[in-house]
Amino acid sequence: MIRIGDVLVSHGEGGVYGERMLQGARVWDPFRSKLAALYYVGTGIELSPGMRVLYLGAANGTTVSHAADYVDVVYAVEFAPRPMQDLLEVARRRKNVIPIMADATCPEQYAPLVEEVDLLYQDVAQPDQAGIAVRNSAYLKTGGYLILMLKTRSVDVRKEPGEVFQETTETLISAGLTVQESVWLIPYHHDHAAIVCVKSTR
Amino acid sequence: MQSYWFGDVDGGQCTLFAGEAPAVAERVRSIQTSMDTFVPLVWDIAVDCGFCQDRAEYISRLREVCFLNAEEEIRRRYGGRDTELLQMVRTLDEMDNVINLLSERVAEWHQIRHPMFSRKYRRTPAHMLVKTIREKNRGALGMVAAQVEELAASRTALAREVSARANRVLPNTSALIGGLVAARLMASAGGLAELSRLPASAVQVLGARTALFAHIRTKTPPPKHGLIFQHRRVHNAPRSVRGRVARVLAGKLAIAARIDYYRGVAAPEFLESAQLRIDEAGKGGEP
Repeated sequence: MIRIGDVLVSHGEGGVYGERMLQGARVWDPFRSKLAALYYVGTGIELSPGMRVLYLGAANGTTVSHAADYVDVVYAVEFAPRPMQDLLEVARRRKNVIPIMADATCPEQYAPLVEEVDLLYQDVAQPDQAGIAVRNSAYLKTGGYLILMLKTRSVDVRKEPGEVFQETTETLISAGLTVQESVWLIPYHHDHAAIVCVKSTR
Repeated sequence: MQSYWFGDVDGGQCTLFAGEAPAVAERVRSIQTSMDTFVPLVWDIAVDCGFCQDRAEYISRLREVCFLNAEEEIRRRYGGRDTELLQMVRTLDEMDNVINLLSERVAEWHQIRHPMFSRKYRRTPAHMLVKTIREKNRGALGMVAAQVEELAASRTALAREVSARANRVLPNTSALIGGLVAARLMASAGGLAELSRLPASAVQVLGARTALFAHIRTKTPPPKHGLIFQHRRVHNAPRSVRGRVARVLAGKLAIAARIDYYRGVAAPEFLESAQLRIDEAGKGGEP
């Protein structure tokens, strides 16, 4: 990852969401992007120029725009029409973003479009986040990574975040994924955990 | 055989799909894939079977197709009869808020300038007070008061439009409870489809969220009515039967919303019997 001093940045066309620029690079704010927060509080996965990424829950394309600065191509899946309008605008200016309007809970909707990817990144506000990740891991090649941004409050508001985290991790492991790192995104995002997994089995 | 956007692949054989981007987009929407037998596509195949020269061309053509599909899907999702009404209702409620806040504020300001002024023992409605403030004050205060008056005029026009549109989009619900309240119910549920899927008990307390959750958490009595209280049948009913009227009305509203969603036109027989039933509840009688 590219850092100037302690500040995480990405190289690309700025002005996407009014981000700060630092020596010509776009500052990647950990308070706005959970992926950036992961790189501040943990290790994460090194994004490299050859990577293909499937991004579930692309929303307004804020994080997508930074990820796209690092990698080869981002398949950005978003379901809601309002944020999709913004995502399309981001994708018009970034030629390596492929916008897909579909439901991440039904991966078959984009099966004809998406190729095998090196990284599956998921940030969706849904109850069954582990299940969505497992179903979408069909797109992940062997040795590929999953970064799951677990929104514990979306799974069940009545449960303790720690408990939700535990259950999610167990589901991922029983689906054949190996958990490599898991951290809470405090102080940047509360009740959010990042779980990094490797797909090791075929 | 696996069907991908650019063609079908079977073993090492691939059959290209012949057609321009819009036709390809159409094809992508129609492909049904089962995840059990699914094999993720390998883009090189597209080169091998002569679909494109290199990866740059592959990505750019894929993007074209995805853009077409996304634009089409956004149009479809925004095309619902209720989508615009939803925004209109929310704007209306927001305007009410703003108008109330600003009227209160200019009145406070006016009192400072006119130390002998008081609203006690006056029956002046709020909009008349704002008019007086505009006439009696120069500068910013008068201008703000004038703006509040203009806002109130737009609000009236918007309310009329909401009501008229609700009569078209929600003919049955509107016939039972009036266009404005019907539209508010729909907005509170999040859309016509969402409203039609709510049980009557939920329709009855839509808009009484605070009271409902206070009831669930502590021992406060449950709310008898939410938004539907705004209808005269509920708020004019004697206290002893108000809960009953609200319950019966909500029951009929739930049915009306379903007719609105699935049929989309007024159902006179249903409306007649529903009106009768609600009137009976108001007189204190169960059938």
